[in-house]
Amino acid sequence: MIELLPQAASLIFTIEGIGVLVLGTMLGIILGALPGIGSTVAVAMILPFTLTMSQAPAILLLLAVYAGSVYGGSLSAILINTPGTPQSAATCLDGYPMAQRGEAGLALGWSTVASTIGGLTSAIVLLLAAPQLAALALNFGPIETFALILLGLTCIVSVSEGSLVKGLLAGGIGLFLGCVGGDPITGEARFTFGQFQLISGFNLLAVVIGVFALSEVLIRAASRDEADHGLVSFSGIVLPPLAAWRGRVKGLIKSVAIGNGIGILPGTGAATAAFISYAEAQRSSPNRKNFGKGEPDGLIASESANNAVTGGALVPTMALGIPGDAITAVMLATLTLHGVTPGIRLMADNPVLIAAIFSGFFVINLMLLPMGMLVAKGAAPLLRLREGYMLVLIVLLCAVGVYFVRGNPFDLLVMGGAGIVGFVLRRQGMPMAPLVIGMVLGPTLEISLRQGLIITDGSFGAFFSGHPIAVVLMALAIGMLSLPLVGAWRKRYVATE
Amino acid sequence: MSVLTERRVTSLVLLLVGAALLSQTFGQAHSGLGAFSPMFFPRIVLGFWVAVAVLDMVAELRDRKAVTQPRLLRVTLIAVASLAFLLSITRVGFFLAAVPFALVALVTLGVRNPVSVAGVAIGVPAALVALFNHILTLPLPTSPFVWWF
Repeated sequence: MIELLPQAASLIFTIEGIGVLVLGTMLGIILGALPGIGSTVAVAMILPFTLTMSQAPAILLLLAVYAGSVYGGSLSAILINTPGTPQSAATCLDGYPMAQRGEAGLALGWSTVASTIGGLTSAIVLLLAAPQLAALALNFGPIETFALILLGLTCIVSVSEGSLVKGLLAGGIGLFLGCVGGDPITGEARFTFGQFQLISGFNLLAVVIGVFALSEVLIRAASRDEADHGLVSFSGIVLPPLAAWRGRVKGLIKSVAIGNGIGILPGTGAATAAFISYAEAQRSSPNRKNFGKGEPDGLIASESANNAVTGGALVPTMALGIPGDAITAVMLATLTLHGVTPGIRLMADNPVLIAAIFSGFFVINLMLLPMGMLVAKGAAPLLRLREGYMLVLIVLLCAVGVYFVRGNPFDLLVMGGAGIVGFVLRRQGMPMAPLVIGMVLGPTLEISLRQGLIITDGSFGAFFSGHPIAVVLMALAIGMLSLPLVGAWRKRYVATE
Repeated sequence: MSVLTERRVTSLVLLLVGAALLSQTFGQAHSGLGAFSPMFFPRIVLGFWVAVAVLDMVAELRDRKAVTQPRLLRVTLIAVASLAFLLSITRVGFFLAAVPFALVALVTLGVRNPVSVAGVAIGVPAALVALFNHILTLPLPTSPFVWWF
């Protein structure tokens, strides 16, 4: 692949090529920042414009919009606690608390740098090892996936600030919400109570926006503090100083590896990667006590992992012709529309085009930093608006975003209901992050558990024999779950000593 | 209702909802299917929900922590206005639903300058309709009376 780079560069560094990279990245960031538009809608919106373009610029435009939108989701997650995309839900956990204590610019700085590094490394991995990784992904069966998702779920423990019981309860509610709708194996309707709109389940983004953003609007409306100022103070991105990276690089490398690893597994996605990476960072970070209160390590974990997924997700799409999610399915459609057939022959048949796509992806991720700074600078005056205006704007944007996901009026009601329920539960002291984690990871957990049990004739014990990856992941999950218990025991022991 | 009672009632409601949903997973149709049963996983999840809800209920009964009383009228007005707005978007169009919502919400949230209230309540929905319907061509629901908003 490396020897093809000069030829690939001649395809990228044309006026058309550079134009699509700049425009696509900027458009992706803006669309990703608008709650609800999301990566899939953003990529689908741009698709018709690529039909008149030649192969390389068309695919690069879509990739630029894709990578830009994944990063863009973090802007609204940090500044207004409204994840632009589901993959940014984990970013809210530490990003918004940082913004609330007046460090919005710095929070965006951490997320921008982490996103850029995550994206760049995934581009390098793509360039160097796409075929080998595709083969590795095929070894990951339902039992390994179950163990991986179980590990991801353990981060509920870490984000249950205040009360572990309430966090676990919220996680249980989230897991249940993920069960509503058609059964993934038999197709039978579950918990729909005769409502046909529920057959396809609750829309994830409607629930996420409801419990995070709408409930925040209600909390602020209920608050007795008379705010005559903006929600957060922000004047632009502040890059973290080099010294602040001390002790965080190891975590960043780990998160990037998790993002790349999960990206190559079809059907898992960036939201899952962000939460698993967050859980791992919480387990291993020296600042684990500050997680959920505005800890940069949490922000780095979620943002570097979700952007690292973008490159990883292209591995099975390009090398095997298997789209991992809706976005890569649109990519696959674009490749086919342009006469390129993805699959095991793709790299052998179109080496220069593939080298151009992969190296173009590297350039796109390099541009995230300046483009992100530019877009954030433009958004800054908006955030200085008085709280009342901002709250109204948030409700309007949330409604627009949720409507666009499926054009379904029922989703708007779900968002409204989730907002009110979220408000009541938050007054109860229940954290909302575990609910979202349960809902994001639940469906994959269910399908992998049931497939695993069907394969092993209903024997859960068989999960532990002949599946070393699964055993390691489950051991990590058990370790993660027992951490608070060990901590409590140690505290009691020290006190008695 | 005091805040303490509110928390206990919410906790009880969560327990009852969990138990009611769990009872839905039992029945002849789903017995003996093991992992093939559509209720296999929900039963595990709801069992967990009920068990944790019991612990939460016990914790709430023991708790004596005081929480600030919310501004009930203000939050109810915003919640009702938001729900009415969300319900009417597809019936009267985004613009016609958004303007009254924004007017009510801004006044409720303490904005008193009539020019600002009118400007934001009309200007923001109009800008969103212009952006999505006419620039991005991602149409928001329009009113049954006029096609351009």
